[in-house]
Amino acid sequence: MVQRRWLESLKTWVPRWRSSVTGRADFQRNATRFVLRVLAGLGITALGFGLVIWLGTLRYYNLGYAESILPGLGQGFLVTIRLVAVVIPLGFALGFLFGWARTTRSLILRGLGAAYVEVFRGLPPIVLIFFSYLITTLAILNISKNPFIAGDVALWMGAIALSLHSGAYQTEIIRAGILSVPTGQIEAADSVGLSRWQTMFRVTLPQAFRVSLPPLGNEFASVIKDTSLLNIIGWLDLAQIGLLQVPAALKADFNLVFIIWIEIALLYFVLTFVVTKVVRFVENAYKVPGLEAAEL
Amino acid sequence: MTMVRIRGLHKSFGSLHVLRGVDLDVNRGDVLCIIGPSGSGKSTLLRCTNLLIYPDQGDIFIEDVKVNSREVRPEWVRQQIGMVFQQFNLFTHLTALRNVMLGLVRVKGMDAAAARSKAEFELERVGLAEKKDAYPAQLSGGQQQRVAIARALAMDPKVMLFDEPTSALDPEYIHEVLDVMKRLAEEGMTMMVVTHEMGFAKEVADSIIFFNQGQIVERGSPEEIFDRPGHERTKAFVGKILR
Repeated sequence: MVQRRWLESLKTWVPRWRSSVTGRADFQRNATRFVLRVLAGLGITALGFGLVIWLGTLRYYNLGYAESILPGLGQGFLVTIRLVAVVIPLGFALGFLFGWARTTRSLILRGLGAAYVEVFRGLPPIVLIFFSYLITTLAILNISKNPFIAGDVALWMGAIALSLHSGAYQTEIIRAGILSVPTGQIEAADSVGLSRWQTMFRVTLPQAFRVSLPPLGNEFASVIKDTSLLNIIGWLDLAQIGLLQVPAALKADFNLVFIIWIEIALLYFVLTFVVTKVVRFVENAYKVPGLEAAEL
Repeated sequence: MTMVRIRGLHKSFGSLHVLRGVDLDVNRGDVLCIIGPSGSGKSTLLRCTNLLIYPDQGDIFIEDVKVNSREVRPEWVRQQIGMVFQQFNLFTHLTALRNVMLGLVRVKGMDAAAARSKAEFELERVGLAEKKDAYPAQLSGGQQQRVAIARALAMDPKVMLFDEPTSALDPEYIHEVLDVMKRLAEEGMTMMVVTHEMGFAKEVADSIIFFNQGQIVERGSPEEIFDRPGHERTKAFVGKILR
């Protein structure tokens, strides 16, 4: 029963998905657009790679080289995806909770939210990453004396530090969304007899998300690229694997350095593109007929 | 029988003393219209009645149950009282049907099918059955206000509060909302209506209150208030409004 209610509430978060027959038609159109957009993004990337290969066939550089670094970059790409898969959901969860906390009546929760934002937005992510890495390493070494465990945990603590940084930005995005819902909506919900909790989940949040989603997409795109900061504590991510190739490339042929960076750029682009299109998909699902500006 | 009984109601916002001791009875099935200059506390009085605002002092009884008390859940009180707002306040992200269904499913605990047919019935009552899948932004002001009335009616309230329900409407839409309210009055709904529609008040009200500076200046039948008001202040206000 509890589980079913949870499921029910999840469904209304994307209220149009089950609203009516017209809703379903919109869903299909939205899904089709999503697939087309992702294909377009992959197409742009493929064109990029095509350009690289073309330059190779014109003998601007050794074509075999572009191919030879790809498996390594692919490994790094997977690491970056893993980091993104942790940092985005965790950052969003933090942003959601603290954003909500900042709009409650409780002075303590509001203060906590404000403190969180000021600290984690005000400090450079690179400092946060280093700090959490060092503190974790020292703490674990003190307890277990096992440097391998310490290294692993500390690496992930760096990722969490980045989530905290991104979460601080998302807190403000969520807060802005909640504040954008007119008080009349809450009064109406009250006068129907909804509890405070129901009002939050049924009335305030669905409308707040509609406003918050575009800037959230912005923040996701931004934090994907910020994961490259994590290589300073030893993550062998896409950027780092590329960087490691540079000295050898410089020795062989200066043009090869460009090839490395172009391939890195293309792979980051794919990731950012897909994630922002997912956000766009959810955004469309939250669209309210009559409230949107004319669609171009 | 007394449906709403208010005794010695006081409310201040900071240094602003908005309600200054209001005593009021509304009988079951009666329509009470509240008129008075803006800023006189009419809206605050309505909002206190369904506890959107808690009074500082005084008692509110609905059917002899004291509702502004710690033992009574405000959600329960508001369920007994329907409210219609000047700005409609429909949930913008839900269709007309779902606006009406929300309280049925979440507050009354009805299952979706029963709530749907009840909501469709209420929309039919306000003449908007064919607009059930429209979103508020796709409806005219008059239609939105009628959906808002249906949303309040669906909860089977004992009392309906109307806070200037036609003040935000274009003139062409006013009558359709007033017609729905008139029908409701004929069906025997207990209603408290803050309004500037003197025609409606004259025709429908059982009694009228002239409210000024947080107090009831005068209460009487429409004839008494409009034709032979007892107080200078009432006379001046009515004279200005009716011209």
